Amino acid sequence: MAAYMSMGEAHRRITEYLNRFYDAVSSQDGKSLSRLFSISSDSSLQFLADALNTFQDANRIIRQSESSQYADIIVPVFRALQSYRLRNLVESYLAFEKVANAFVQEFRNWESAWALEALCVIAYEIRILAERADKELASIGKSPEKLKGAGSFLMKVFGVLAGKGPKRVGALYVTCQLFKIYFKLGTVHLCRSVIRSIETARIFDFEEFPARDKVTYMYYTGRLEVYNENFPAADHKLSYALTHCSPLKEANIRMILKYLIPVRLSIGILPWNSLLDKFNLTEYNNVVLALKRGDLRLLRHALEEHEDRFLRSGVYLVLEKLELQVYQRLIKKIYLIQKQKDPNKAHQIKLDVIVKALKWLEMDMDVDEVECIVSILIYKNLMKGYFAHKSKVVVLSKQDPFPRLNGKPVTS
Amino acid sequence: MVFLCWRLGMATEQPKPATEDPKIDLFEDDDEFEEFEIGQEWDDKEEGKEVTQQWEDDWDDDDVNDDFSLQLRRELESNTEKIEAKST
Repeated sequence: MAAYMSMGEAHRRITEYLNRFYDAVSSQDGKSLSRLFSISSDSSLQFLADALNTFQDANRIIRQSESSQYADIIVPVFRALQSYRLRNLVESYLAFEKVANAFVQEFRNWESAWALEALCVIAYEIRILAERADKELASIGKSPEKLKGAGSFLMKVFGVLAGKGPKRVGALYVTCQLFKIYFKLGTVHLCRSVIRSIETARIFDFEEFPARDKVTYMYYTGRLEVYNENFPAADHKLSYALTHCSPLKEANIRMILKYLIPVRLSIGILPWNSLLDKFNLTEYNNVVLALKRGDLRLLRHALEEHEDRFLRSGVYLVLEKLELQVYQRLIKKIYLIQKQKDPNKAHQIKLDVIVKALKWLEMDMDVDEVECIVSILIYKNLMKGYFAHKSKVVVLSKQDPFPRLNGKPVTS
Repeated sequence: MVFLCWRLGMATEQPKPATEDPKIDLFEDDDEFEEFEIGQEWDDKEEGKEVTQQWEDDWDDDDVNDDFSLQLRRELESNTEKIEAKST
């Protein structure tokens, strides 16, 4: 597995790492330090791993080097690297957990925030290593629990950062790593306490955080608002993420849209087809068309066709509720057609006529059921009018009989 | 299809096929947001982005000349004629 390497070469590589570590800490160079922890993502560290697997007694070199005072961090870094190289992912995670704890200990004592970037890399790495360790555990039939452990560790890190002072700008990065863990584990309720700290604590000015963290934060909190069916808040958060996301990250823009589109549909705002095509979100094409037409049959078919996808992303229920808007649109079309024929009688719509339109759309409903639907539309202010019960007619208001949503949700 | 299976089940009391416990895959695609490179900043001006412009809230027009509306009109008119024909 490991490429052949002479002892001399191995010694040289290990010494080089230790020197880089020492130099980064003594010159307070956070960027250089952060690279020394990128176990899963910096391929140059793989050569060091080979060196460590060749040169068995690296601890002796650490003790003799200037970096010996950071042995609590470096010894487990080496172990994590070696195990990672040998694909012992659980071992690697366990060693990295020691790295992370020892690093946070040091980080607390440093007054300035110079090492924040290194802390962020550690927060990222511990999550990734935990995910991979859990895959390994699951594959041998053991219970995957490392990601949960990484979550507890990151909560601790959040506590370290969330005080006053310059370190607090790192709090949002850690929060986003926590969100990724909680969404993966399906324990999104745990997001709540972190969100409260970010949104209510006076020490945080949201705009101070780096753009990348603000966008990620708004994406995840926006998704939570979708689950809570708080559509105006979801629209606000996901729109923020959409507006501020790096245009180079198309995959992220697509993910934002995947949630923002159903939210906006529910408040009466439709995406252009060109937007759906560009980001390959064509599962929404027919939903949009159904709304425009008032085509209940098409809405039903579109939901059936992509049921799996919509259920998986949790937007199915949001889309199902569009049905009322489609009824509104259909009845408005009936009204407009009547108006062309006879403007004086257009505001009286026989329930029979609606029954017939629905039958044409393969929906078997009797007059009573249609009356019930129309009452709901009136109650939710999607239609203005009243019933003439005896003649089974709904009489529409002459003024604005089909109010638009204008960015507001349907009243519940 | 479902209805048919149900009928058959009622008639013959067939044993249910053994169902496997649904396994929740912890690692399925969960729309995880891609990492932005640490230290990556970008110009996040709000104007002129097509992703924020390609939306409409005034689509709810009074036009009834599209295919769907024309078919709907034909449908409603043919029905009225039938009813009127019956009642006379």
